[in-house]
Amino acid sequence: MIPGVDYSQRYWDDVVEGDELPEVRDEITYRRVIMNPATTWDYFPGHHDPEYARSQGQPTIYINTMHFLGFIDRLATDWGGPASFIARRKMSMRNSIYAGDTMVGRGRVTRKYTDESAGETRHLVELDLSVENQHGEVCAPAVVHLRLPRRPGA
Amino acid sequence: MSSSLTAAPPGPGGTELVTGTYEDALAMVGTTREVTFSSHRVTWALIKYFCAMVRDANASYWDEEFARAQWGGVVSPPALLLTWVMAPEWSPGDPLPAPMLLGRVPLPDPTVISVGTDMEFFRPIRVGDRLNAEETLREVTPRKTTRLGSGHFLSTESVYRLGDGTPVARYVHELFRFTPGEAGAR
Amino acid sequence: MTATDTGYDIAFGPVEEAVAMVGATTPVRFGTIDVNEAMIRHFAAMTRDANASYWDDEFADHQWGGLVSPPAMLMIWLMPIEWQPGGGTPLPLFMARIPLPGDTFVNASTDTEFFAPIRVGDHLNVVEELVSVSDEKRTALGVGHFVTTRGTYRRQDGTVVAVNTNVLFRFTSEPAGEAR
Repeated sequence: MIPGVDYSQRYWDDVVEGDELPEVRDEITYRRVIMNPATTWDYFPGHHDPEYARSQGQPTIYINTMHFLGFIDRLATDWGGPASFIARRKMSMRNSIYAGDTMVGRGRVTRKYTDESAGETRHLVELDLSVENQHGEVCAPAVVHLRLPRRPGA
Repeated sequence: MSSSLTAAPPGPGGTELVTGTYEDALAMVGTTREVTFSSHRVTWALIKYFCAMVRDANASYWDEEFARAQWGGVVSPPALLLTWVMAPEWSPGDPLPAPMLLGRVPLPDPTVISVGTDMEFFRPIRVGDRLNAEETLREVTPRKTTRLGSGHFLSTESVYRLGDGTPVARYVHELFRFTPGEAGAR
Repeated sequence: MTATDTGYDIAFGPVEEAVAMVGATTPVRFGTIDVNEAMIRHFAAMTRDANASYWDDEFADHQWGGLVSPPAMLMIWLMPIEWQPGGGTPLPLFMARIPLPGDTFVNASTDTEFFAPIRVGDHLNVVEELVSVSDEKRTALGVGHFVTTRGTYRRQDGTVVAVNTNVLFRFTSEPAGEAR
């Protein structure tokens, strides 16, 4: 076991529709936005060039799609545990998260279900998630279908 | 010219956008970009850097022993899917793979922004996998006006596979190609 | 902006403290990542380096026993990672931890000797030594001290792959000049 690494696991059997996910907050500095091209190799200038961002009508550089996705996925798997599997994730981006903003992640379980379409029985939950900024504006609403393990012995 | 599929080479920011008319863009709907094979494998170093950026402590990404037992090896965060086929902006010899469709759809507007994604994952993406992507232009809407400005929504659909053709993920990407509105223009 | 914002927690102190540290060495520090093809390609793309050793697996296997890292990437394989589970800010680079009065720094020179190729799959470690601290000097940037450190880089089997002597200028920042 590695210190600090998340091992706690949630089982499908224990989930109740309506369960709320713990809120996650993350302050996004200029430096974190610059990490976007560094880690994703996405050199779209809106994410590293303030002049280009302003030419788009944005006040400054803003995080890229993959950073939003990584934060949403982390919301889901921090709650679901390291044996959970993201089967599907839909996300819209309505407002940017700029250097200097805070990302606030929230969510809840909207559905608990099983699916046999892939030739095996999968146990899944549907999560309604969102990323807001420090002003309470919704930046990225998302729906994640997360496959969870069964409680051992269930 | 504008309706040709030979794109301008990607510039320093990869931001070269092909210009043309909405009719040119409509003529391109259904076009599939040539399958892009990645120059690199799914790499644990890049996984660590990305997880550091989003502060993700999931054992699947950091603990090799755990990940091997759970998934057969360390796995990639799903969010990093595109990076596994993201080509370096330069390479010697062979020409670069064609840029993503988002830059090649001919439209009159000067800039573009991502507005939505829908990804489906069929299997874990493991360190060592080498992915390829096949991308199709699905739709281009008529001109619309939003808070950002005036432009067209377009969507592309990509299928990501392993070298043996096993599908790994399906990805629908929605973008807004637009002219910034008066409030935003500088 | 605080030092921790930059990730370089500069240590402050009088020059006598730094001089007293000359000869000190760090405990061995291991890189977070393995030498890998993806980052090699990305770096060579940035520098527009067409060397077959970085792009052609067959050539590199024959020539070096495997795809090799550009020598310039040496420090990248040991760069502290921004964050890890368990939190905590990464230990800043040794050269920034030398107590001196200056509030900022700029790197002045490197002198690196390479003894073995650095190959994909290698995992490097480094031991650093404070070699010298100069008297106070004035340069165009300001008043400060030149700090010389030496890093000995080894791979997983203990072979020394490189030794790097680095000179850094640690100085007191002065207001920026007029924009030209």
